[in-house]
Amino acid sequence: MRTKIAQLRAEIEALTASNAEELEKLRIRLLSKKGEITSLFNDFRNVANEEKREMGVLLNELKQAAQEKINTLKESFAKRQEDNTVGDLTRSALPLKIGSRHPLSLVKHEIAAIFSRLGFSIAEGPEIEDDWHVFTALNFPLEHPARDMQDTFFVERNPDILLRTHTSSVQVRVMENRKPPIRLIFPGRVYRNEAISYRAHCFFHQVEGLYIDREVSFADLKQALLYFAREMFGSETRIRLRPSYFPFTEPSAEMDISCNICHGKGCAFCKHSGWVEILGCGMVDPNVLKNCGIDPEQYSGYAFGMGVERIANLKYRTKDLRLFSENDIRFLEQFRAAF
Amino acid sequence: MNISYNWLKNYINPDVDAFELGNILTSIGLEVGAVEEVQTVKGGLEGLLIGKVLTCVAHENSDHLHVTTVDVGQAEPLQIVCGAPNVAANQKVVVAPIGTKLYAGDEVFSIKRSKIRGVESFGMICAEDEIGIGKSHDGIIVLPDDAVIGMPAKEYYKIENDHLIEVDITPNRVDAASHYGVARDLSAYYSIRKPQIKLRKPSVDAFAVKNKDLALKVQVDDTSLCPRYSGLLISNLRVGESPDWLKNYLLVVGLRPINNVVDVTNFVLHELGQPLHAFDADKITSGEVRIRTLAEGTKFTTLDGVERSLSAEDLMICNGDLPMCIAGVFGGLDSGVSETTRNVFLESAYFNPVSVRKTARRHALNTDSSFRFERGCDPANTVYALKRAALLIQELTGGSIASDVIDIYPQEVEAFELNLSLAKIRALTGVEIPKQEVETLLRALEIEICAEENGIYRLKVPPYRVDVQRDVDVIEELLRLYGYNRVELGEAVRATLSYSEKPDNYKLQQLISEQLTGQGFNEIMNNSFTKEAYYTHLTSYKAENCVRLLNPLSSDLNVMRQTLLFGGLDSIARNIKYRNTDLWMYEFGNCYSYNSELSDAAKSLTAYSEDFRLGIWMTGNRRGQSWITVEEKLTVYDLKAYVEAILLRLGIDLRSLSMTEFENDIFSSAISLSKASGQTLAVYGILRPAVCRWADVEAEVFFAELNWTALLNSIRNHKVETCDLPKYPEVKRDLALLIDKRVRFSEIEGLAFRTERKLLRKVSLFDVYEGKSLQEGKKSYAVNFVLRDDDKTLTDNQIDSVMKKLLRSFEEELGAQLR
Repeated sequence: MRTKIAQLRAEIEALTASNAEELEKLRIRLLSKKGEITSLFNDFRNVANEEKREMGVLLNELKQAAQEKINTLKESFAKRQEDNTVGDLTRSALPLKIGSRHPLSLVKHEIAAIFSRLGFSIAEGPEIEDDWHVFTALNFPLEHPARDMQDTFFVERNPDILLRTHTSSVQVRVMENRKPPIRLIFPGRVYRNEAISYRAHCFFHQVEGLYIDREVSFADLKQALLYFAREMFGSETRIRLRPSYFPFTEPSAEMDISCNICHGKGCAFCKHSGWVEILGCGMVDPNVLKNCGIDPEQYSGYAFGMGVERIANLKYRTKDLRLFSENDIRFLEQFRAAF
Repeated sequence: MNISYNWLKNYINPDVDAFELGNILTSIGLEVGAVEEVQTVKGGLEGLLIGKVLTCVAHENSDHLHVTTVDVGQAEPLQIVCGAPNVAANQKVVVAPIGTKLYAGDEVFSIKRSKIRGVESFGMICAEDEIGIGKSHDGIIVLPDDAVIGMPAKEYYKIENDHLIEVDITPNRVDAASHYGVARDLSAYYSIRKPQIKLRKPSVDAFAVKNKDLALKVQVDDTSLCPRYSGLLISNLRVGESPDWLKNYLLVVGLRPINNVVDVTNFVLHELGQPLHAFDADKITSGEVRIRTLAEGTKFTTLDGVERSLSAEDLMICNGDLPMCIAGVFGGLDSGVSETTRNVFLESAYFNPVSVRKTARRHALNTDSSFRFERGCDPANTVYALKRAALLIQELTGGSIASDVIDIYPQEVEAFELNLSLAKIRALTGVEIPKQEVETLLRALEIEICAEENGIYRLKVPPYRVDVQRDVDVIEELLRLYGYNRVELGEAVRATLSYSEKPDNYKLQQLISEQLTGQGFNEIMNNSFTKEAYYTHLTSYKAENCVRLLNPLSSDLNVMRQTLLFGGLDSIARNIKYRNTDLWMYEFGNCYSYNSELSDAAKSLTAYSEDFRLGIWMTGNRRGQSWITVEEKLTVYDLKAYVEAILLRLGIDLRSLSMTEFENDIFSSAISLSKASGQTLAVYGILRPAVCRWADVEAEVFFAELNWTALLNSIRNHKVETCDLPKYPEVKRDLALLIDKRVRFSEIEGLAFRTERKLLRKVSLFDVYEGKSLQEGKKSYAVNFVLRDDDKTLTDNQIDSVMKKLLRSFEEELGAQLR
């Protein structure tokens, strides 16, 4: 044992290792559970009693020396590595992937956040729908020209099963199942049978809103929408309401905002009008309330609906709707810093 | 719909130009798409001057040219070489000086200084056709002597350019689908602003029956399809070209002039909104006009020369039994007015809107006439429009009104009565429209105020406003004319408490989206439509379960996706094409399926289901090369880490899920995580190369799909509650196990926790060795165990005994050996 200790002692003195891995192997060879030094300790019980004291000291010294040597070497590696990394901090950083949110998610989220500050919660509903929820309950009479306004994808006919053309169908479902007051927004995907081009797609996203209570007025609607427009597009934004027609609202309006590109001076984007159409809205038609089991003599309400793509186009000046579903990384990466 | 500004001024004189008028129309609900200046004469006679020929001598080198000097009111007369045979001194003529643009059809040419056979010419003396005011090319225009030298020709001819105003008529506003209708709405707008601007209605006082030379029997078979039918006969007319004023109006609104009879019917349609039809009376050989349906399949050739097969529901105007015209939609080829027509039967009717709409759709026709009928014309207006047209035809064709007005109107459409309260106006609009203004507006809209009591009006709405049936409809009229933009807003918000659903789906989607984005993923969105071909070779998603569109855009978009997988693969293919190969992407979206077994006779929605899912795709490298790193390829364990991180973030205990390895026709190797109930929460794994190739992706792709709805349901009761921090230290122990290759780590982990339920906290795999030095069919797993007792510090004895117990279990149940 004595020779073995001496031999190891010498070996430890001369110990070198060129990297941390080698050092770790050395540590295992010497100090691990089955390591050479550990096994010497295991052999200690076989040492004659008179030698035990001396051998004990030698063994402990050996172990300590080994430990110290390894620690020294370890430190020297660490130091070398430190020198290596501290040397030039201007070197490029580790390659880290940076993700992005989809622009339509960003816009949808912002719309939801703005209306949530006005006390609106979120509700969702199915995309595959029946005629009642998409048209009939919303006061689209059969054979009425208003049905021409929306080209519908059908799954079955007579009775019809179809893809919703607007998220108003969710409004119907909510009104059928809840008692007023109702203060909700309805984000979701909708479908229109239109040829795909830079300015039309067969699917897009809407956020609609609904507020039903006693004595809700057109002025309340206008106020909520002005707040929305200013939060979304900046405090300088002006709005303009134009009378329009939707079967499910009366009175109905379309809302324009002052063009946020030319600030109302007139540019190609706003077709030199200074205004950009942004959403449709109105007071919920009494027929719709009745169809959904709400008494129009007691309750009134407003509703509005906007296209998420349209707002994204305005906000990010996107010119081609198709980009939103092509998922080209070169497009998506432009939204790394969008929030 | 197109409105001519000049034409409109026959009925109202707005105090603004066409552009500003466009803004006013938009503000009252007649949205103007564009306002364009239209020249009634091409070029507008710009640059042309009236001149006087001072001298005129024959050209030396020509037998037909003349050399003239012409005074155009400038310091020096112009020398002009002229080829017209009729040019002579002292004539007043129209001169195009150098620089004037003249138009020949679509071509433009400029008058230039030129030399004609050696003589210089400084302009041109014009003929009618050369300046676009007529067709004559017989010679130059010779004006009367009183024409003023130097006057611009456009002043002399009183050329006034027109403006085309394009109005988008919403389906409820057919009342404004005419010049008079627009003028009526404008007059209502002005009534509370500038009441002096008034509406003028064309008079038909001059209407008189000249003779009763002609007679026809008219019979309406079904008055529900044709509630009113009016007509009259005009004899001895001469079909010819219409006068310029009429042709100009029609051209501005985009109609091609045809002849003086047809042009009048078109004029009245666009003036009053009442469609008319003129028949050649001599071709009504049976002596009877019958308004009826015909047998299914009856052939009929329309004005466009197309032979159509009629439906038994198409209402037809017939010569006895023979069809002449599809009522309210389109005329026939043989019954119309032609050059030789001498006698005309003029029709002015009110047809059932739904019937006209169905017929028009059936034949894929959309005419100016069907557009108005299907939205609902004014049943009270047929006779007035008829008289208006008869007077114009009489005036323009020299014919005579040769019969009384025939008017079949068995059930008069009455004005609609309703109550309107001032309080409701205030409540619904949120503004106080002065009572005076309310009443003025009502009158301007021709709504009769029958009575008023305690702020409640009894109103009679005339039938021209088909859409005004309830008090809210009247309130809309009042508010739009009062001005939406005059509605003032307060600072305080009227709101109601609104509660959100728990767990908040929207919020959690945000949370996980932000987590994945922060980890380096790009969020994507794919079309819900995809091609059925993706599903035809699969059994894991069956083609028969696809929700199929009846009217798809194309065969590539003919079904709805059952899985998010293929949309992502399509996106990967697109990006790889552009050399972006390291792709980490995720998508939240619905997947759709149809189960025919759940289909019922009522075709309710039960057979259709929508599943909200989260898809994750990874392909390419985990990390690119740099001075400090080497390129590292992604493995399926990268994906696994992100999937598990999502579950952990949502508060799902991974150990409560059962993990099943599987392979199918999508995955070559995959894991499914499911709840004790058997419901699958997530699957992830390595996609089969063949599946990737369907989408033209050659790279290896790892894909995960999480059933978001099920995930949310499973955390309905999730709570975070703190517990005391452990007081005693953890102990780590390793075991290197030699096991059969078929043994899974999850078995080791599961067995460990079943074996030591109290002290074992964590089991992890820290080394795998499958080298040749091992026995055939074996592998080595180095596993780390974390032990902790919350009541005391563990002793070596306890630790050893736990480790021995664990090893024994591994040996007995998994055939493991300690290495």
